[in-house]
Amino acid sequence: MLNYTLKRMATGLITIWFIASATFLAMHMVPGDPLADDKAVPPEIRAALLEYYGLDQPLSVQYLRFFNNMLHGDFGLSFTQKNRAVNDIIRAHFPVSAMLGCVALLFAAGGAMVWGAFAARFHRRWPDYLVMAIVVASISVPGFVFAALAQIAVLHINQRFGTQFPLAGWGTLQQMLLPALVLGLGTMAYMTRLMRSSMLDVQQAQYIRTARAKGLSPARIFWVHKLRNAVLPVLSTLGPAIAAITTGGFVVETVFAIPGLGRYFVQAVQQLDYTVIMGTTVFYGSFLVLMVLVVDLLYALVDPRIRLQDDR
Amino acid sequence: MRPVVGCTIRGTHMNKLLRIEKLVKHFGHGKKAVTVLNHVDLDIHAGEIVGLAGESGSGKSTLARCIAGLHSYDSGAVYFQDALLPKKFSAVDFCQQAKKLQMIFQDPLSSLNPRLTIGDILLEPLRLNSDLSAEMQEQLAIQWLQRMSLKSSDLSRYPHSFSGGQLQRIGIARALIRQPQLLICDEPISALDVSVQAQIINLLKDLRDELGLTLLFIGHDLAMMRYLCDRVAVMHQGEIVEQGCTTDVLEHPQHAYTRKLVNSSPIFL
Repeated sequence: MLNYTLKRMATGLITIWFIASATFLAMHMVPGDPLADDKAVPPEIRAALLEYYGLDQPLSVQYLRFFNNMLHGDFGLSFTQKNRAVNDIIRAHFPVSAMLGCVALLFAAGGAMVWGAFAARFHRRWPDYLVMAIVVASISVPGFVFAALAQIAVLHINQRFGTQFPLAGWGTLQQMLLPALVLGLGTMAYMTRLMRSSMLDVQQAQYIRTARAKGLSPARIFWVHKLRNAVLPVLSTLGPAIAAITTGGFVVETVFAIPGLGRYFVQAVQQLDYTVIMGTTVFYGSFLVLMVLVVDLLYALVDPRIRLQDDR
Repeated sequence: MRPVVGCTIRGTHMNKLLRIEKLVKHFGHGKKAVTVLNHVDLDIHAGEIVGLAGESGSGKSTLARCIAGLHSYDSGAVYFQDALLPKKFSAVDFCQQAKKLQMIFQDPLSSLNPRLTIGDILLEPLRLNSDLSAEMQEQLAIQWLQRMSLKSSDLSRYPHSFSGGQLQRIGIARALIRQPQLLICDEPISALDVSVQAQIINLLKDLRDELGLTLLFIGHDLAMMRYLCDRVAVMHQGEIVEQGCTTDVLEHPQHAYTRKLVNSSPIFL
């Protein structure tokens, strides 16, 4: 287990290094720079600014400086938001994104277990087909379409019944509900499919026949023998699911006017704010690598077969 | 000592543990329906080992599963100790019948839940149904493991870390820990290699003598059946074409299909 953990951590670090380097190079290959403004800036001021931000140095020096700062946990200052450090932006806005992501993930995972098991229970009957039709629709249609549709639906409900359900914004539980639902929908659909097929596999398994022959109650067979075995493959997709939800958050945060990190990331890309882009990318990248690692370790802990293979 | 059963009491109503009368089972509906069991009659007396032979697809396993309630059947009757078993088992029926009748399966690994320890697998039925204290139950599980030549420390191991023969012995322990009267063995040795096969067969034989168990043994290895079974029944296309004393049936087969089966067995006689 220790061996496995160390190995996974080493590959994780290499991944983060690669993400950081690729972002750095990509940023410097894009034409234009953060100081290019609508207003004409006198050349001497521009030169002074370039010097101030270190942009006049050769690429290799910039790269080493960027890495040195990154290792000290410093992503530098934002170009467009005066006197605001990238670290401050992440610190202030990531909790919002994380909160939204957590609620969405909870909703996705919980819903997927229920709907997947439900569809498998009614395999090849109309409840199964209905759930699968909704699943295919939810996977195929991008999140922002659902975001807009949900807003329109809520708007009509508000007009019709005189309710005041919030359409956008951040701060209350009610405001969180709609974006979390929209954000989690695609992931839930994907995981529902997985849960359904996993459940169907398990239902066919010979140890379920054994459990029935043992004379166990249907409830016990379902909870202990079927669900426990069926949930594991679904659990292993939680890592990528977190990735899908955090990246999907960029759009949803914009549509619902949520002050999350995703919005700042999109803004930064539009304004070519080097430091913010690199800071958030490396931050998100490390976060995802960490999540995938945690999920894989948990998986090894839950599944005795993985654990033992490594011990040998 | 082998109890004197078989040919001598054939046709009487003495000690009939299981009585199957005109059992019919279809798979599918309407035009697509396939008759898997066609008016099957079979009696099993207490204390004997009955072999059920026949090629793949002849309905042997389906018959076993109908008896154990894993399949429902369409018509006919199954009596266990003169009590009629329902055509379709309810949850309560399963619970009741599992005390008297247990089954072991062909593939010992995939028929054990990979996520449960051997202890959980053995103790699960006891925890739910027995009034023994937890320590007594664990003692019982350890006794059974030792009887199967396994160690008490194996209780905390998972199925994937055992060999096929060990797993089948765990399967037997799992079935017998409830002290059933009838043990159905659904091709229990087909997935094992030959040296282990003999081990399991001898174990089943010993257990029958020790516990007075009744066995329904399903297989296609006639040489093995000749060694193990008191009586055999031969199935072909959902019907029992011949049944009787093992030596009678195998040495003087009456039905053409039995003769074919006997002749196709390479190391027979």
